[in-house]
Amino acid sequence: MGGLEAILYREAKIRLTNLTYMFFDLFYPLAYFLLFGIMMNYALATPLVSLGVNYKAFFLPGVLGMACFTIATNTAWGFFVDRDNGIFYEMLTYPLSRAQFLVGKVSFNIFLAVIQALLTVGLAAVLLGVELRVELLPLLFVGVVLGTSGWFFFFAIFALRIRRNDIFNTITNVFYFIFLFCSSIFYPLEPLPEWFRTAALANPLTWQVDLLRYSSIGLRTDYLVAECAGFIVFSLVAFWFGVRALNRAA
Amino acid sequence: MSTHAEQNTIALAVHELVKVYPGRHGKVPVRAVDGMSFTVRRGEIFGLLGPNGAGKTTIVKVLATLLAPTSGRAEVLGFDVVRMPLEVRRQIAVVLQENATEFFLTVRENLVTFGKFHGLTLPAARQKARAVMEKFGLTEYADQKVQDLSGGFRRRVQVAKMFMVETPVMFLDEFSSGMDPILKREVMGYLREEAARGRTIVLTTQVLTEAEELCDDILIMNKGRKVAQGDLYSLKLLSKDLYDVTLMFDEIPPGLPAELAQLEPHKLTIDQNTVEMTLKADEARVLEIVREIGRQGRLLRVEVSGASLEDIFIELTKEGRTP
Repeated sequence: MGGLEAILYREAKIRLTNLTYMFFDLFYPLAYFLLFGIMMNYALATPLVSLGVNYKAFFLPGVLGMACFTIATNTAWGFFVDRDNGIFYEMLTYPLSRAQFLVGKVSFNIFLAVIQALLTVGLAAVLLGVELRVELLPLLFVGVVLGTSGWFFFFAIFALRIRRNDIFNTITNVFYFIFLFCSSIFYPLEPLPEWFRTAALANPLTWQVDLLRYSSIGLRTDYLVAECAGFIVFSLVAFWFGVRALNRAA
Repeated sequence: MSTHAEQNTIALAVHELVKVYPGRHGKVPVRAVDGMSFTVRRGEIFGLLGPNGAGKTTIVKVLATLLAPTSGRAEVLGFDVVRMPLEVRRQIAVVLQENATEFFLTVRENLVTFGKFHGLTLPAARQKARAVMEKFGLTEYADQKVQDLSGGFRRRVQVAKMFMVETPVMFLDEFSSGMDPILKREVMGYLREEAARGRTIVLTTQVLTEAEELCDDILIMNKGRKVAQGDLYSLKLLSKDLYDVTLMFDEIPPGLPAELAQLEPHKLTIDQNTVEMTLKADEARVLEIVREIGRQGRLLRVEVSGASLEDIFIELTKEGRTP
């Protein structure tokens, strides 16, 4: 526990030295939601026919999923900063296990993800009148915590295996494009071509966003339980490979 | 690996250690450590010396659980580095060759964070940080971010961290690089104090005077293998026919440089009016050579002494000699 607490303390200290960055992490999803979500809502004018909800309600969980994804990427990128400072290898000699190291590294950022989700969900309800399923909100925060950690473990594998941050940035840009647009973040999958729907349903980001969608506005897919189980398995596998990559990183 | 009685006095035990770095992109694998065995007693300052690429840092990385050995065993206070890495990490504090500081944190926060990682509570870490900053002349920089400090000060912060904790074993890989001579001397004093309190200190260095002054036991390695090990006295015995000769003339006699070269000295430097050389010969022959050279010009100073650690080091490692 001491090791986890220490790494959490360290991450918090480092993040607090860059308030602009933290502000961006906290308000970026909200700004995305307010601009893209509301404008699309105006553009579409009518509720999404197949789902019976307006676009801003539909997009709220999408933007939360996207925020988890972004925070996870940024946290994984932190390995490059640690390497540049030389502290990365020294930290691997500190008295904590590799698993603690990974969990500790993401812990403070999970806290940030939860705060930004609270802000976004709260303002969506108060300012934009999005109707929330309040009784399901605890599940929403489980989705945010699980999503941020799962995606961090996934990106950590690449950040630890790749030595050059420009290559890592290229890979994350490709992943952004594929994972975000081939998912249920921006549009409902039902009216889309079969091949695209199949690909999107194989995307862990769809699984996470579907959970967030259910736990925020109550919109449930037929395979929600399988999606949740799938995301848990995805996170555990990513965690295992992340620990392995960390062991090999030295 | 060792008997029960020995285990109480042994801090580090390395047995037939081999580390091979696999060759990437068609390159030949590198055998960085090749069957190394040694032990280090508790409370000892142990020097690991060798030229670049000798395998010193690899050994430190294996002992610090950063690298897994290809074969052989290594233990820190009885804990195997492969089977019990977390236990090993609880016993050690490490200064790596690379600068390793938290750039975006202040000097104080660097020390406190390090202390917390090693189990100190926040108040205890803060209190200890004050004392350590005082000791290392860092108090006036306490609230400055490390990224704003010079390279020398960053190194100072890095080494200061070792004094935040009470781990029984300390590894210092080229600790003095970038340090000013005054601080270096002070740190050497602190290291002696820590060893006197029972901490085991492992140094790797290429600054041989540091090892000469500090180390109780010295291991010289080359190309991944042990070349010699012992205290300074026993190492000097290894090259008892090695002598340092210094001759100062009013001016260097013409033809002397060529004549000296014929003697095939281990080291020869001629700087203005001074000749410095290392000769391998018995004492009588060395004195005879000095006498002959002395006849060729007006000598202002003559000095003949036994070999320094540097001479021994060069002698033992120059041809990749192994025992």
